Amino acid sequence: MSRRLAGGGRVDRGARLRFSFDGDAYEGLRGDTLASALMANGVRLVGRSFKYHRPRGIVTAGPEEPNALVELRGGARREANTPMPVIELFDGLEARSQNRWPSLAFDLLSANDLIARFLPAGFYYKTFMWPASFWEKVYEPLIRRSAGLGSAARAPDPDRYETLHAHCDVLVVGSGATGLAAARAAAEAGARVILCEQDFELGGGLLLDPAHEAWRAGMIGALLRQSEATVLSRTSVFGYYDGNVLGAIERVADHLPVPPDHAPRQRFWMIRAREVVLATGALERLIALPDNDRPGVMLAGAALAYLRRFAVAPGERAVMFTNNDEAYDTAFALHDAGIEVAAIVDVRAATARAEPARQRGIDLRLGSVVLGVHGRRGVRGVTVAARDGANAKTLSADLLCVSGGHNPAIQLASQSRTAMRWDSAIAGFVPGESTQRQRSAGAARGLTGIASCARDGAAAGAAAAADAGFAAASGFDLPPDSAEPGTQVEAFWEVRSAGKAFVDLQNDVTADDIRLARREGYEHIEHAKRYTTLSMATDQGKTGGLVGAAVLAAARGEDVAAVGLPTYRPFAVPISFGAIAGHAVGKDFAPIRRTALHRWHERRGARFMEVGPWLRPAYYPQPGEENDAWASVLREARAVRQAVGLCDVSTLGKIDVQGRDAAVFLDRLYTNTFSTLPVGRARYGLMLREDGIVFDDGTTSRLADDHFFMTTTTVNAARVLEHMEYHAQTVWPDLDVQFCAVTDHWASMSLAGPQARATLAKAVEGLDLDNAAFPFMGVGDAAIAGCPVRIFRISFSGELAYEVATPAGHAERVWEAVLAAGRAHGIAPYGVEALGLLRIEKGHVAGPELTGHTTARDLGLERMLKKRGDYVGRVLAERPALADPDRPRLVGLRPVDRRARLRAGGHLVAAPGSAESLGWLASAMPSVELDCWVGLGLLARAESWRGKCLFVAFPLNDETTEVEVTHPHHVDPENARVRA
Amino acid sequence: MPASAPEPLSALHGVAAPGRHAVGGEAPLTLRERRPSLAMLLARKARARDVAAAVQRRFGLALPAPGRAAAAQDASAIWTQPDGWLLSADGAAARDFAGAVKSAVGDAGSVVDQTHGKAVLLLTGAPARRVLATGCRIDLHPRVFAPGRSAVTQIAHIDCILRQVDAAPGYELIVPSSLAEAFYGWLTHAASAYGYEVLAPA
Repeated sequence: MSRRLAGGGRVDRGARLRFSFDGDAYEGLRGDTLASALMANGVRLVGRSFKYHRPRGIVTAGPEEPNALVELRGGARREANTPMPVIELFDGLEARSQNRWPSLAFDLLSANDLIARFLPAGFYYKTFMWPASFWEKVYEPLIRRSAGLGSAARAPDPDRYETLHAHCDVLVVGSGATGLAAARAAAEAGARVILCEQDFELGGGLLLDPAHEAWRAGMIGALLRQSEATVLSRTSVFGYYDGNVLGAIERVADHLPVPPDHAPRQRFWMIRAREVVLATGALERLIALPDNDRPGVMLAGAALAYLRRFAVAPGERAVMFTNNDEAYDTAFALHDAGIEVAAIVDVRAATARAEPARQRGIDLRLGSVVLGVHGRRGVRGVTVAARDGANAKTLSADLLCVSGGHNPAIQLASQSRTAMRWDSAIAGFVPGESTQRQRSAGAARGLTGIASCARDGAAAGAAAAADAGFAAASGFDLPPDSAEPGTQVEAFWEVRSAGKAFVDLQNDVTADDIRLARREGYEHIEHAKRYTTLSMATDQGKTGGLVGAAVLAAARGEDVAAVGLPTYRPFAVPISFGAIAGHAVGKDFAPIRRTALHRWHERRGARFMEVGPWLRPAYYPQPGEENDAWASVLREARAVRQAVGLCDVSTLGKIDVQGRDAAVFLDRLYTNTFSTLPVGRARYGLMLREDGIVFDDGTTSRLADDHFFMTTTTVNAARVLEHMEYHAQTVWPDLDVQFCAVTDHWASMSLAGPQARATLAKAVEGLDLDNAAFPFMGVGDAAIAGCPVRIFRISFSGELAYEVATPAGHAERVWEAVLAAGRAHGIAPYGVEALGLLRIEKGHVAGPELTGHTTARDLGLERMLKKRGDYVGRVLAERPALADPDRPRLVGLRPVDRRARLRAGGHLVAAPGSAESLGWLASAMPSVELDCWVGLGLLARAESWRGKCLFVAFPLNDETTEVEVTHPHHVDPENARVRA
Repeated sequence: MPASAPEPLSALHGVAAPGRHAVGGEAPLTLRERRPSLAMLLARKARARDVAAAVQRRFGLALPAPGRAAAAQDASAIWTQPDGWLLSADGAAARDFAGAVKSAVGDAGSVVDQTHGKAVLLLTGAPARRVLATGCRIDLHPRVFAPGRSAVTQIAHIDCILRQVDAAPGYELIVPSSLAEAFYGWLTHAASAYGYEVLAPA
C-alpha cells in the first residue's frame, strides 16, 4: 500500500488540508496534488477506463496522466476530466471519480471487459451502422452513457475568466533546469521574457533532488529581480500558432475553493513572442505488456516524483521494468528510502548500473521482461521471465514501475510545424529544423542530465535574446556536472503474451487493436490513429503514442522512424471553454450598438429586437397592449396610414462620399446614374455584386458637385463600405474619391403619413415645405428646436414622408420637438415591426427578398438597370440562367379567405399536395389598409399567374392556404401619396 | 446652420456617472470622458502634400506619420489611414471645427464632421496598460508604444482609435458613439479588478 513517509519532500507538514474523494473524507498537506494526497492515504483505485471500465490507478505525476481523471467541485462550478496530478490540493476540495456506475469499486459496465473480443477497434463504425435513423436517437446516447468521461455543469459558470494579450521578446516554456537557465540568460541580456510553468512550483526535475535546491532558488531569485521578466506558474501553454502566437491558460484561482472578488478563475494568455524557447522536458513512455493498466503500475519517473517531492511511498514492494539506465535512479531511490525493490527487470543484456544495483542487494534480471501483472483491482505480483519466455517466475509486488525510455515533449514544436527527426540514441523523435522563430532546448531536444540541460538552456536563452536584438550579458553559474552516465536505452516497445497490452490507457487501445487496424487496411499512422483512437484522448497519447506507432511499424515490418507520429494539434493540454470564451458570454457575446435615441425608447417602454448588432425598438406597447404585440404594431402602422408616425431609422448605413470623381464612381457602383442628379436632390440606387446578384439598395443625395451622402441597408452598411474601398483602391485607383462612414454621426428619423407635412412645418425653421418648393426627393438643411437638421423627402412606407437627420447629440431634442409638433395630428412613434408591415403593404423589397440569390429583374427592379455605361455586376447579370424569363419574380399575394393568415417561408404550389414548388412566400404581414394578410413572394412565370389563385404550402405546420396573385404594391400602386 | 445650437448630449450621457469604484480603498485608474470636436480629413488624390501644408499654415500642426499622433495649440491629429487623419480641437477652436478645416484645405481635401460619431475616453493610471491588454492586441510596452504613438485597432471587438497622451500612462480611446455604451461596459468591467474613478467630462 502507498503511504506518506515520515520525513522529506516538499510538502508542508504543518499545513493539513481536508478534502473528499467520492464522498470519503481525507487529509493531505500543502504542497500535495490530489494524486499525491490520495496515494498518501493509501488510495490506489481512482477511476474506470473509458471503454472497458477496467479499474485504474495513477500512472504519472504530471499533465500527461491518462487514467486518473476526476470531476472537481460541485454545482455550477463542476468541471470534468481534470488529471489528478495537476490538481493542487486545497482545503475543502471535492473530487469524484468518473465513468463508473454505480460505484468505483463495483462497476456494472466492467462487463464490457469480459466481452472485449466483441468490442474491437472500429467497433462503433462496424456495429452501429444500421438503421441510420438510430444513430442520433439510440446509439449515440447509449455510447455516450457507457463510454463517457465526466459530465459538465449545466448551470451558468459563476466565475470570471480573463483574456490577456501579451508580448515578449523571448517566451520560455518550462521552468526546469533548461527553462530557468534560458529565461535568466535572455532576461539578463535585456530581453522582455515570459516564463510559463504548468506546475504550481518552478523547477521541473530540479524539484526531485534536494541537492539542486540552492541553484533552483538562486535562479528564480535572479529572474524575479529582472523587471522585464514575467514568471508565470500554474500556466500551461496549449497551442502554438502561426506568427509565433502561443496560447496559455493561467490557473489563477483553481487552487482556491472560490476565486477572490474581481479575480478571474483562469486567465487566457495570448502571447505574441519574437522568439520562443521550448524547454518542455521529456515524458516517460510505457511498455505494452499484458495488464499494464492495473492500479499499481506506474511510470518510473512518477514513482521518483511521488517519493522525493511529495514524500509518498508509492508501494511497499516494487519491481522495476526498464529498457534504460535512468530508471535505476528510481529503483535506488526507492531502495534507499526503505522500500523493498523485489527486482530490476532489464530487457538489455548489460548495463553500467549493474554494479550499484548489486551493491544494494537488488535482484537484477538482465535480458528479461515482465510477462504479466497479477491482481485485478491492484498489482499483487508480476511474472518475470527471460526475453524468450524461459524461466518464468512470479514475484510478489504491489508496485510495478515501468520505464520504456523518454520522449522529448515535442507537442508544441510539432504544432509550430517543425518536422521531427528520429534519434536512435534516445529511441525517440526530436525536433528537426525550426520553421518559426523557435528553438527547443534541453530534454525537449533529447539531452539528459541537469547540468547539460542547464547549459543548453542558457545557450538557447542567450541565442534567442540575440536573435531578438539583445546582446548576451555576463553568464551565471550552472549546476556542477555530475557523474551521471548518459542514458543508454534499447528500443523496446512491447511484451507479446496473452492479455490486453495497452498502448493508450485513456482510450483503451491495445497493441492488438493496432495490429487489427493494419490488417483492415489502416496502415498509415494517421489512419490507424483515427481507426483505433490511439492518441486521440485528452492526453494526446503522451505516454503511449510512440509505443502504438512502434507496434504498427513492427506489424508493417518497418522501422518506427519510417512510420512516424501523427501530427500534434492544439490543445496540448485540455483547457476549459470558459477560459476561451472569457468576457464574451451572455449579453457580452458581441458588442451591442445603440442609436442616439436608445434611452428615449427605453423610457417609452419600447420592446427591443436585435437587428445585426443593433438593438432597435420593435414596437411601443401602450397601456392595455402589454400582452398583445399585434395591437401595438397595428396601431402604429395605422397611425402612419391615417395620420402620422415617427420611426428611428438611425441604424441605416450612411456613407459620406467626396472627391472630384465622386459622381463617376457612383455611376459605376450603382446600376443607375448619379452624375445627372442635381445638387439638393436624392435618388434611389441599386447595387449589384460582381456576380450580378442584387447586393444592396438605398437613397443617395447630392450635397455639392463633389459631395454625396449615401445610405445603405442596416445590415449591409459595413459590407458596402468595404465594397467601395475595394473598388476605389484596386479597380479604379485613378478616380479621386474619398469615403467616410457617418452612420454614428447622424441620427435619423422617418416622419411618415398624410399629416407629415403639417407636423414638420410646425417644427422646422428655415425650409419651405411647400410641395413645389420641396418636392418628392428634395434635400435641404434647416433647424428644429435650434438644432441643425438635414431633411430628405423620401419614403419607405409609401406615404408622404420626410427623413430628418441631425447630429446624434441633438437626436432626442429633435425627436421630441417633432413629436410635440405632431401631437395635434395624432402622431405615434412606430417600431421596426410596423415599419416592416408598411413596406410589405407598399411592395418595397428588403432583407427577406434581397437573399443573395435574387437579381434586379427577379425583384421587378429592371428599370433601375441603365442601358448605357458599365457598372459592377453588369456583365455577369447577363448570364443566361440569371436572364431566364421564367425565373421566380416578385409578386403580391393575398389569401382568398380574407381571414386566413399567411406564413413567410411557405412554398407556392399550383394545387394542395403538389410537390412542385413554383416559388416561395418571402414576407407577410396583416395589412392595416386591406383588412387581410398581404405578402410578397417570388413566383416562377409570374406574369401567367397574375390575377389567378394558387396555394401557400407550409408542410411543417400542415398548412395550405389559397392565395391570389396580385401586383406587389398592395397600397397606392400609382405612387401618388409620396408626391402629394 | 442655426447660430447657436443647444448643448448636445454625449453618447455616454447618463452612462459614465462620476464616482469612485474602489478596490480596498484604492482607485489607481481614472476614466474621463472628453468632448472635443472631431473632423476626418482625407487628402484628395495626389494632394496629401497640399493638405499637410494647409494644416500647418492654419493650425501650426504637422500631420503625423502612420502610427503617430501630433498636437499643436489649437488642434491635434491622429493618422488613421493612408492620406487620412482624425483631427480634433477643444475649447474655442472646437466651434465649427470641420468647417474651419475645410476652409483651410479647400479642394485639396475632403473633410467630414465626426464630432457626434465618436465617443472619447481618457484612461489614466499605472494599471491602464494591463487593463487594455485584456482586450487590445497592440503591444503597449513603453519600449514599443510611448506618448505620441497611436493605433487604429479593435479593442474588445469594437473599432478603436488609440492614442497615448502621457507617460502616466494615459490613453485616449476613440470609439464609435453607437458602441460607446458597450465599450464603456467592457472597460469598466476590466478596470474593476484594480479600482477606478470616473471624473466629470472635460
